Amino acid sequence: MGLIHHKILGLVTILYLLLFFLHLIYFVFKKNGIKKTVWIGIYVSLCLHTAGIILRWVDSYRLNIGHAPFSNYYESLIFFSWCICFIIVVMRKILIYPAITTLGVLGALILMGYASLSPGVDKNIQPLIPALQSNWLHIHVITCFISYAAFIVSFICGILYFIGFKWAMLPDKGTLVEINYKSVMVGFPMLSAGILTGAVWAHYAWGSYWSWDPKETWSLITWIIYALFLHARFIRGWGGKKIAIISIIGFFSVMFTYFGVNFILSGLHSYAI
Amino acid sequence: MSATKNSNAESDIQLKKNILGRLAGFFGSVKLAVSVLSFIACTSVLGTTIKQNGSEEDYLSLYSETTLKIIDFFGLSDVYHAPWFVAAIILFAINLVVCTSTRFFRKWKKPGHVRLPDEKTLYSMGLSFTVKKNREDAISLISKRFGRKIYEGEDGLILEKGLYSRYGIFCIHISILIVLIGSLIGIIWGYRGFVVLQRGDVKDRFVLRGRQPREVPLGFAIKCRDFNISLYPNGSPRDYVTSLEVIEKQGVLFKKDVRVNSPLSHRGIQIYQASYGLLPSFSFKIDGRDVKLKEQDEYEEDGFIMVVTRFEKTIHNFGPGVQVAFLEDGKPKTTWFLRDIPEMKQRDLGNKRVVLEDIKEDLWTGLEVSYDPGIIFVWTGFALMFIGLYIHFFVVSGRVYIRKLSDCIIVAGIGTRQMDRFKSAFERIKRRLNGAYPS
Repeated sequence: MGLIHHKILGLVTILYLLLFFLHLIYFVFKKNGIKKTVWIGIYVSLCLHTAGIILRWVDSYRLNIGHAPFSNYYESLIFFSWCICFIIVVMRKILIYPAITTLGVLGALILMGYASLSPGVDKNIQPLIPALQSNWLHIHVITCFISYAAFIVSFICGILYFIGFKWAMLPDKGTLVEINYKSVMVGFPMLSAGILTGAVWAHYAWGSYWSWDPKETWSLITWIIYALFLHARFIRGWGGKKIAIISIIGFFSVMFTYFGVNFILSGLHSYAI
Repeated sequence: MSATKNSNAESDIQLKKNILGRLAGFFGSVKLAVSVLSFIACTSVLGTTIKQNGSEEDYLSLYSETTLKIIDFFGLSDVYHAPWFVAAIILFAINLVVCTSTRFFRKWKKPGHVRLPDEKTLYSMGLSFTVKKNREDAISLISKRFGRKIYEGEDGLILEKGLYSRYGIFCIHISILIVLIGSLIGIIWGYRGFVVLQRGDVKDRFVLRGRQPREVPLGFAIKCRDFNISLYPNGSPRDYVTSLEVIEKQGVLFKKDVRVNSPLSHRGIQIYQASYGLLPSFSFKIDGRDVKLKEQDEYEEDGFIMVVTRFEKTIHNFGPGVQVAFLEDGKPKTTWFLRDIPEMKQRDLGNKRVVLEDIKEDLWTGLEVSYDPGIIFVWTGFALMFIGLYIHFFVVSGRVYIRKLSDCIIVAGIGTRQMDRFKSAFERIKRRLNGAYPS
């Protein structure tokens, strides 16, 4: 009974897969009806995904270890994926180009697939270790992952910018730069908030708001990269190409902050988030 | 004469202004900001890939001697405190100060004379509509929705929404400076250390961290009333709690349970739950006298000297044992005592009969001590940054112009920040007023 959230999240994974294929079908037939279906699908997925996370939360109370599902690697992957879907919905007015949503949905799908299929990822609800028992956990994790998701949209725009051939489904370069900029306008304040809340939390948990822990340092590096992104337009001659390059570099920095630090570098952030 | 002097002085001033202007131009440039930030980002990567603050042996086991020389030369074993890294941060701070003072103070000036554009210009703005019926109601509704009146006249009015959003960026830049100042204060006047306590221990000193750690007074005493670890059913830790009593000259001031996310704070000093462990203690009976010793403790009695040198939890499945060094005929010797093996519990060392009665492992709690007078600046900076981020990235701003004509009013708007949201707010009011597209 209690494992209903696993079933729902499994269904969500399949939905993301279907959405991805639906996009491809749209590229072939170019029917407006398919596009509408895609968007309905995105809304449904987001609702189910939210339901899955909430049920997991509720289930943790049934196990007497009640806590928000932000405490281990599996839960962080699921939430990361949720954030991508959430950002797509939040930015729906400007993400009207299926080329972008295809890759966004693909990102959500990869994260869900990896979380549920990889044998290295423990899917059980685990009790909250003392270091994570804080109200700062929620706001810190939420702000950080929303920023990561926004940066993924930025990365998608950066990649599409370099696609050499003309294609009707592809927004023009000016639009890509604009969407890229807007996604960083969401991601940057969120990452800043994530770092600040993390620093406040670190002060209460470790006795120092900044200790140059690898995760902290890499989040600062990511922050600097996107700060450069925002300042790039003030430099003469730095056009869309440079912006696209920075957003791609920024993405790798985000990925390293999230995955790389956990697997390659050791530090205080050893709970795999 | 005086004229030439004057002109000389003027040209001097001119020259100084020129140099100052150029310096300000250089130190306040976005290019410098981008270069310094890129430098800080790239070198920070080094700090996460090269082992930091390790011992010489650590480095020799990881790198060749030549690499180690390079690491030492550039201070790469402690990147974030290396002189060149600090210099980069200082340069960044200077850049921020100059940039903020030259660029943003210009914005501080009040908007000068505002003019209501003519009909044609209003129609050419991206957002515009006309209202024919109930004009006064429409004007009052729009005024309610779109902020402050900055101009009102016979011909119409100008409204401004979210004007303050332009200061968001100013807040963010200043807040970074405040955080940097706070961290500098912390580095100069703050300190960190630790104290280890067992149940019942009272301590008024702690070990100050640094090149040579040393014990210094805490300023008050703390007593460990209790230390407890609780576990979840699956065995993972649930809670570490040290129950502390803060004692001043006048007596016990207050009690506090220090947990991982809940430090004790007294006189600006914070005490955190950091670690714990087990400390073995050994009960010996030496010639019938009870003696309690810990590791490395020395016992001396009329010429007989005994030192506890080593403790092992299990020795070949025989249970816990302790190694003892002693002097026999002036020569140092060692022997093992095993608690659970009767024939190895007691020995004659020199002329003394030594019996190991018991080995106990007592819990100790490791508390981190920190004092950071800069923290108030850091928090202020954080608060200001939150405000700045909100204002800069989320506040909608723009201008709405209303021109009164003989048969209708023209409403036009320009968004300056969060244009999409400004546009949808504008469109909403347009629908509400059944505004017609300008013909």
